[in-house]
Amino acid sequence: MVRTIIGRVLSSLLVIAGSSVLVFVIMYLLPGDPVDSLIDPASATPEQIATLRHQLGVDQPLYAQLADYFGKLLRGDFGKSLLNSEPVLPKIIEHFPATLALAAASALLSVIVGVLLGVLSAIHRNRPIDVIARIVGLLGISMPTFWSGILLLLVFSIHLGWLPAMGSDGWKTLVLPAATLGLIGGGFIVRMVRNSMLEVVNEHFIVTLRSKGLSERAIMYRHALRNALIPSVTMIGMLVGEMLAGAVVIETVFSRQGIGRIVADAIMAKDLPVVQGVIVFSAIVYVLVNLLVDISYSYIDPRVRRAA
Amino acid sequence: MRESATAKALLQKRKWELPALRSSGRRFDLSRLFAAGAVAVIAFIVLCAIVPQWIAPYPPTEMMTDSIMQAPSAAHPFGTDYFGRDVFSLVVYGSRDSLFIGLMSVVVGGLVGGTLGALSGYIGGRLDSVAMRLVDTLMTIPGILLALAIAAAMGPSLTNIVLAVAAAAIPGYARVMRGQTMSINGRPYITAARSIGVTRFGIFWRHVLPNSLSPLLVMSTLGIGSSILAGSGLSFLGLGLLKEIPDWGTLLSQGRGYLTVAWWICTFPGLAITLLVLAVNIVGDWLRDYLDPKKKEA
Amino acid sequence: MFLAIALVLSACAGGNGGNKSSGASGGNGAAGEAQSSSAAPSAEQAAAETPVQGGELTYALATSPDTLDPARSGLAVASRVYRSIFDNLVVKDANNEIKPWLATEWSVSDDGLTYTFKLRQDVKFQDGTPFNAEAVKFTFDRILDPNTKASNSASALKPYASSEVIDDYTIKLVLSTPSRAFLVNLTQTTLGIVSPTAVEKYGDQFGKNPVGTGPFKFVGWQENADITLERNPDYNWGPETASNQGAAYLDKLVFKIVPEEATRIGSVQSKQVLAAETVPPQNIAALKADSNFQVLQVETGGLPYTLFINQNKEPWNELKARQALQYGVDIGSIVKTLYLGTYEQAWSALTPSMFGYDASLENSVQPDADKANQLLDELGWTVGSDGIREKDGKKLTLHYVDGSPNREKRNDIAVMIQQQLKKIGIQVDVEITKDVATKVFQNDDYDIYGNSQVNVDPNALSQFYHTAAPGVLGNIAHVSDSQLDQWLEQAAVEKDDTKRAELYKNVQQFIKDNAVILPIYVFPYTVAASNKVKGLAFDSVGYPQFGGVYIQK
Repeated sequence: MVRTIIGRVLSSLLVIAGSSVLVFVIMYLLPGDPVDSLIDPASATPEQIATLRHQLGVDQPLYAQLADYFGKLLRGDFGKSLLNSEPVLPKIIEHFPATLALAAASALLSVIVGVLLGVLSAIHRNRPIDVIARIVGLLGISMPTFWSGILLLLVFSIHLGWLPAMGSDGWKTLVLPAATLGLIGGGFIVRMVRNSMLEVVNEHFIVTLRSKGLSERAIMYRHALRNALIPSVTMIGMLVGEMLAGAVVIETVFSRQGIGRIVADAIMAKDLPVVQGVIVFSAIVYVLVNLLVDISYSYIDPRVRRAA
Repeated sequence: MRESATAKALLQKRKWELPALRSSGRRFDLSRLFAAGAVAVIAFIVLCAIVPQWIAPYPPTEMMTDSIMQAPSAAHPFGTDYFGRDVFSLVVYGSRDSLFIGLMSVVVGGLVGGTLGALSGYIGGRLDSVAMRLVDTLMTIPGILLALAIAAAMGPSLTNIVLAVAAAAIPGYARVMRGQTMSINGRPYITAARSIGVTRFGIFWRHVLPNSLSPLLVMSTLGIGSSILAGSGLSFLGLGLLKEIPDWGTLLSQGRGYLTVAWWICTFPGLAITLLVLAVNIVGDWLRDYLDPKKKEA
Repeated sequence: MFLAIALVLSACAGGNGGNKSSGASGGNGAAGEAQSSSAAPSAEQAAAETPVQGGELTYALATSPDTLDPARSGLAVASRVYRSIFDNLVVKDANNEIKPWLATEWSVSDDGLTYTFKLRQDVKFQDGTPFNAEAVKFTFDRILDPNTKASNSASALKPYASSEVIDDYTIKLVLSTPSRAFLVNLTQTTLGIVSPTAVEKYGDQFGKNPVGTGPFKFVGWQENADITLERNPDYNWGPETASNQGAAYLDKLVFKIVPEEATRIGSVQSKQVLAAETVPPQNIAALKADSNFQVLQVETGGLPYTLFINQNKEPWNELKARQALQYGVDIGSIVKTLYLGTYEQAWSALTPSMFGYDASLENSVQPDADKANQLLDELGWTVGSDGIREKDGKKLTLHYVDGSPNREKRNDIAVMIQQQLKKIGIQVDVEITKDVATKVFQNDDYDIYGNSQVNVDPNALSQFYHTAAPGVLGNIAHVSDSQLDQWLEQAAVEKDDTKRAELYKNVQQFIKDNAVILPIYVFPYTVAASNKVKGLAFDSVGYPQFGGVYIQK
């Protein structure tokens, strides 16, 4: 077990380094440079621009910038924003909790809603509940998030006045964004749970249990659901990426703080150190969550435990 | 045998019974009905994309500046927008680019990801570990950030949006294809084929590939929907296109500022997206059931 | 990115007297008093009622400031925030006259090369540092220092060379060349006086810890969420253009950053914030009709939103081709359709509130498709089978570049022009890009590009219309004419205001006659606020002044 985890951690480090290099190269290839957003090209002289470029180090060739960046990164230095000289690490640490809260709340919501609807849908297969649950699930993944977000905002905060329209302080501001984002995750999980439950139902051990006279309800909840949870947990691991992606849009719609907005702005402004910092950070989170997911398998599924 | 018959008899008595054991006829009716409806929706949208001029009452670019922001009426079933364009005609014509983004990004993403996954799974070894690390790497970068960077780098054009969305989808296809190839490769009939001297490529081409395609097919169907959504997300973030005839995502994103004063401007393109993605998903689900041998047995 | 930067440019010349005021004429002493549209105008109430002390104003901004360091910022939105933190030496009133602020009086040498300022002696920075001649010298020398990475402030300060501290409260500023722009430039927000001790303490993080002498002091900035300022209780040196020269009434001023339009307007309507800026035209009517809210609009001064026609490109180097655009585009219809009567159509290269504005240009160009067609026929462009004109096998196309996001519906203008010009046989290829800097300023890859500029003096025209020196990029239309150059040069140093205004009128006339540009609209800075918010006024370029604001119980 420990050896597996160490192996995973090592290969994860490789992956994180890889994604960092990849992003570096993509950003390097972006046309224009951060100087454009620092200085007005209409009134600046070419010398001014050249000086500024040199000060920022963006006139260096790719390999030199790359070497410089990773040299610093290994010493724990994430660098400074090119735009306002702000150190990157504190910036990420400042913004990360808000995104984490959003992701956690929407993941929780997706699991609760997803599993509930998925189970109902599987049990009442082809009855009205099933149809409704499936349509709700599909709607979640069929609507552009910015649209569903604005619709929720118009109804619940402007029309009804129940919840704040924006901000990232307090649980109330979390409800609408988490609901918007949770709708997507929920949609995926409903389908996953429904399909895997129906599959499990036909497997041999369930048939055996059934022949032993176990009640259907018990079979469903104690065995089928337990087995259907495995793919749902995997789904959560995969949804981490979705959540972060969704955060880019949702944080803008609801004016929340968070690394989604930071990184979107940084990409547009070609603020390389910030983009890098966020990518490395989110890669770490992604890898960690998936590691946790793998470990948690062994608790849900005895077969995996034995194999490990 | 007798035991299971008793068990079945016991089950009949419970008022609470397992749906899977109920009459299979009813089950099929409903999903077939769903699938038929979905196919009809898709067919209509495809028709719109091919011959919009037969369906749209107005040229989509005509600006009737005297009648801007008119609510839906007989003359304008979906109302008019802030330029005085007929929203229904815009939605009909907008299907072209929307479908193009959805289909092409799936084709590109599926082709690249699928090939990568198939080779990686079939050849294995060092190629596999390198390819999979690459895929892992891509997976840690959230798709939309990758798409954002690519779209920002290459500027807005239909092709670039397709490439951006496709790039973000590659790792998913690669993983699924790799898993499938590996599982097919281990089956007895492949071993059998190998033992009678079929070449490595021959086995791949004639046996492994055709049998691995169905999950990829299902995934691509579902991918059409998510590609259209991703495209509209780019438009929301300001990296969309500004064409004479906008796609649905752009229409929705541009009209969202008018939601409180003229709800129809963005609601109908939004509904069009939702309806198409919904339909494509239903067909995808149905296709999965249809192609899955386990389900067929059941 | 650049669009936003261009808003708060600089490089303008001093000029007083000769006032033209339309949207922004003085009310109770405040320059550019807002025209309130609510049932009970706030300006009148401000005069009639006793202001209430205390309370907190929440104000939703459409974008986030980049930094609050005046020397380094290039964004209008940053100015709206740090306008309340920093004071300037002088201020411009609604009549374009320069009035004292931190400087009590000043004199200019005969050669126009030295400016001597007497400073107030009772002023302290918010961190306790005394305000004196050293602080002024420090502020300006810091902008010249390349390590500051100064942006727009550097061009605002031109042609400043050095300064000499005569005594604690007297300073002599030395210029390298005479410029009538210099004094007015000192009113620009980017030249606000900074605390030397704070700059030394925070270094390049001064922009996140700004300290000035203004009516509000900086408390905190949560990026992408809010910026909090609090009352500076010692403040007692407001300029005469402010309705309240003493300490602010508000205890706290919180700027919320809310980029999404629906959310921003929604947060005012749901009373989560008391005021929100940049209200889209389609929401103005509903807010005006609601008695709980007021809508304040102030015209921003400078250069209106203008489409520049690139004369480096064929066939737009030919006058007739440009005139065809002038007659072929129905600007009136565009402004009416998109802005629903909330924006004024622009007619000249300057906005109406600017010194030297030529009002005779109003209504001087009317759309005329026949004339446009005739001009293109004369040039030999004949209509092809697809309705697009051709000449020597080449299609008549117009490459229209605009920035993203769709600020003030500028992308929509492109869409309308595309349809209008199609009618006279021109195919418009619209390109929306995030990277205007590269596209327009580096690669010169456009036939038409639109821009606007917040400015204080008509000398701003030089940057856009004077023959550009090699490597200088401001002249987007690439117009070059010796007569035009001469007028602009003369006007930059002309001491007689009447003559100076005349010269600028010649310039504007030339620009119209030669179809150099298509002026589109004058931008009204629009704020929606709860009716409880009183006394909100704007300075001469349209930045809000919060010192006189109070919240009615």
